Amino acid sequence: MYEFNYHRPASLDEAKRILSGNDEAKLLGGGMTLLPTMKMRLAQPSDLVDLSAIASLSGIEVAGDSITIGAMTTHAQVAASAEVSSRIAALSVLASGIGDAQVRNRGTIGGSVANSDPAADYPAAVLGLNATVITDEREIAADDFFTGMFETALGPQEILTAIRFPLPKRAGYAKFPNPASRYAVAGVMVAETGNGVRVAVTGAGANAYRVSEMESALSANFSASALDGLAVDASELNGDLHASPEYRAHLVVVMAKRAVAAAGG
Amino acid sequence: MDDSARQHSGERISGAVGTPIPHDSAHLHVSGAALYTDDLPEPRGLLHAAVGLSPVAHARIAALDLGEVLQAPGVVDAMTADDIPGKNNCGPVVADDPVLAPGVVEYAGQAVFAVAAESVEAARKAVHLAKVSYEELKPIIDPVEAVAASSFVLPSEVIERGDSRKAIDAAAHRLQGRVSLGGQDQFYLEGQIAMALPREDGDLFVYSSTQHPGEVQHLVAEAIGRSSKDVVVECRRMGGAFGGKESQPALIACIASLLAHKTGRPCKLRLDRDVDMLMTGKRHDFVIDYEVGFDDDGLISGIRFEFAARCGMSADLSGAINDRTMFHCDNAYFLENISIVSHRCKTNTVSNTAFRGFGGPQGMFAIEHVIDDIARYLSRNPLDVRKRNFYGKTTRNVTQYQQTIEDNIIEDVVTQVESSSDYAARYAAVRAFNADSALLKKGIALTPVKFGISFTATHLNQAGALLHVYTDGTVHINHGGTEMGQGLFTKVAQVVAEELQIDIDRIKITASDTSKVPNASATAASAGADLNGKAAQAAAQTVKRRLIQFAAEHFNVEPSAVRFENNEVLVGGQAIGFAELVHLAWFARTSLSATGFYKTPKINYDRSTFSGRPFYYYAYGAAVSEVIVDTLTGEHRLLRVDIVHDCGKSLNPAIDLGQIEGGFIQGAGWLTTEELWWNEKGELKTHAPSTYKIPVCSDVPEEFHVTILESQANREETIHRSKAVGEPPLMLSLSVFHALRDAVASVSNYQVLPGLNAPATPESVLRAIDGQRAAG
Repeated sequence: MYEFNYHRPASLDEAKRILSGNDEAKLLGGGMTLLPTMKMRLAQPSDLVDLSAIASLSGIEVAGDSITIGAMTTHAQVAASAEVSSRIAALSVLASGIGDAQVRNRGTIGGSVANSDPAADYPAAVLGLNATVITDEREIAADDFFTGMFETALGPQEILTAIRFPLPKRAGYAKFPNPASRYAVAGVMVAETGNGVRVAVTGAGANAYRVSEMESALSANFSASALDGLAVDASELNGDLHASPEYRAHLVVVMAKRAVAAAGG
Repeated sequence: MDDSARQHSGERISGAVGTPIPHDSAHLHVSGAALYTDDLPEPRGLLHAAVGLSPVAHARIAALDLGEVLQAPGVVDAMTADDIPGKNNCGPVVADDPVLAPGVVEYAGQAVFAVAAESVEAARKAVHLAKVSYEELKPIIDPVEAVAASSFVLPSEVIERGDSRKAIDAAAHRLQGRVSLGGQDQFYLEGQIAMALPREDGDLFVYSSTQHPGEVQHLVAEAIGRSSKDVVVECRRMGGAFGGKESQPALIACIASLLAHKTGRPCKLRLDRDVDMLMTGKRHDFVIDYEVGFDDDGLISGIRFEFAARCGMSADLSGAINDRTMFHCDNAYFLENISIVSHRCKTNTVSNTAFRGFGGPQGMFAIEHVIDDIARYLSRNPLDVRKRNFYGKTTRNVTQYQQTIEDNIIEDVVTQVESSSDYAARYAAVRAFNADSALLKKGIALTPVKFGISFTATHLNQAGALLHVYTDGTVHINHGGTEMGQGLFTKVAQVVAEELQIDIDRIKITASDTSKVPNASATAASAGADLNGKAAQAAAQTVKRRLIQFAAEHFNVEPSAVRFENNEVLVGGQAIGFAELVHLAWFARTSLSATGFYKTPKINYDRSTFSGRPFYYYAYGAAVSEVIVDTLTGEHRLLRVDIVHDCGKSLNPAIDLGQIEGGFIQGAGWLTTEELWWNEKGELKTHAPSTYKIPVCSDVPEEFHVTILESQANREETIHRSKAVGEPPLMLSLSVFHALRDAVASVSNYQVLPGLNAPATPESVLRAIDGQRAAG
């Protein structure tokens, strides 16, 4: 690990002040990805701005037809929340299946979403449930948020503060976990929302993405059998030590069907 | 109390041979109080080492600049191949294994230079400051590529018996195929470590986590340009080894010792897990080609194997390992006409090494694969075909290496597990289940194990022990074997307790130490208790003889009237405490210290012709596994396992049971979840538990019935008629692989051979299922 300055601001304004004019500063959520990356010397931030002391960034709030989850809310908190499980059970299931207990107790939803790891679970939820990413500057629609592997629409000085999930009519999440790390080799969130069916995939490509053919098929008939015979093109998918592109393509279809079944389709 | 009354009292010493006492260090293991090498108090002035690894698989080192490394905070010294005063070699058999790369690197992960610093952190950080430039050369990564390029670490070997070509051509049925079989990391919990302490006048004392202290002593001495007498190596225990600490620790100990030698300060090298997995050898992965001819009942008339093993960049133990593959590709089957070709492929990958089974598992995998294919081709129950090909007891009982099998109990073992597992009914139930289940498919298989016990290199089958009796009647026992968690020290102490008829808590078990017992073989080949138990027994017998002689003279009785029993010595009708007799004997100036020696009888073997009797005896076992497979993803679970395993007359059934269970589960990991994955550049990308999946408690089947075969004493005169148990149970796990094949084959309603490669990861299983669908 290279040397860095550590900050733990008590307010968003203070965090913003530290960030401004400091191009090499990084925000620290749970540190589940950033710290190992720094230890391997693959990242060299000049400053770490730990957001854990900013109370307003944590918590789960239900308002009308949506749930808003603060950026620093841990996976364990989301998994344990009765508000979440009674309204969006799929989100609760997803949070409870991330990594292991240690990761769930440290890792945060904001960190996971901002990092856009191709094998992380949360991006599938944000995209599949048509969430809105809230920052200190603006609101970003899920469809505009994930732009590439470890790339998002966030600006360098922008702080992700919360994610607002509209309540779906029904939703389901299924993933094939890597047996060693529990990362998603392929994970699929399927949701029937007010604006139609959404299918979002994580683990298989460079970043979370939607599958329009599946969405059309499920819009016509929200059942697993509606996906029969539908194949996913492997050519754009990841091939690595965990799985070949062909296996991932296969798993995307299987997991999509399981997600539909989990949603009650 | 008179003698006859005592005889019937039935009281026994504690820890007698055959009693299921706990491992001597169990209470230390579970409380964290057991001292492993890294737990030892650190000497004043200790330096910590770190190693600079090659990032490329094959290259010439064009430039190597350690200037910045030496300037880094805390760094005391650094060294390259040029700084080695003695031999730059840690190869156990062939001197082709450099400690530090001499100008050329031959695998990604090879040690290029080493750094000594005041702290582990300082040493590890400094490593990254080296400026090394590599002129890359073309690497050879996989064994098939190596065979095509005739790239071998040792010459290819052949065993031929009969005329396999003719037999196959004349057979009613013929099959041929290719299957690949992955390697395995030993994944001992305690990583590789050594701590070297300079003593006066250039001598070294080395703590090494090693199965082979004598070899570490020898190679360290050569590396620092000294002699064996100048180096002492000690190891109290290892936190697991599994063969990974048979030859590999020499590399670690040489680096620590060279730095200690160079700086004059004690030096410790402890690898972290990633470095350990990148730098040290693993089980050989294989590509196996076969061709077989057989009749309508599945009886094999002729068979041809061609093995290509990825040995890595040096010979290491690959010669003996691949020999053992050739010796075990019969498993329990008589193969009258057989041809075996074994290629020992040189690749630009880490040099593969010993791992529980030592090439045997790969040989057995091959023949079990062939037998299973034959049964499926003929639509027979695979167990029937297995039985049809079993070795006989009086005929069909000579192996392809000309050893006559005199102790064949495979039918007894198989019959017992067949019955206890209810195999026949469950075989039918699995098929009924599959007929009604579209997506989930079950599979079941019974596979036997026959494993040869002894080092195939005859000269290694020797052992020594050193035993002291103190005047208070307590005993210090030392022998050439090492403790890696397998319970060797407990078993040897039981042997001594039995011989001297004293409670086991009177016996102190002590660290393996090259200055107490010299020239010991590695604790390997499952032979630890066989060899060291006998040597310790011999030492105890020597002291006992002296005590009997003394007692006879002192009490004026015949030596035959002196008997040791339950912490006492019976002299005629009188009983005297063991300690009391010892004290009297000492007072009368009797030597109470002795060495013991043992060499395995009967074995003789000519490697140039691959014939003779390499094995003193065989250990047998059989297992039934049942699995369920999700045909949509290829995921699978082990539902139930039944094992019957032969330990002869077990020295310690509790320890043997642990070895059987652990060996089986470790084997299941090898065949199902543990995948070593190299990219095209030859970089191993699975080098930590985050990417490499070993089995854990949750992978143990809910129904796991393990039975030690009752009352089958070893027919050879081994230590208390016991049998070796370290390696053989690992191969019981072949039943898991074949249960998976059975489940896969159900997808084509058992019409298509299941082309499943190992490890049977979900992806591999799904590929095999796709093969079923495509062909069906």
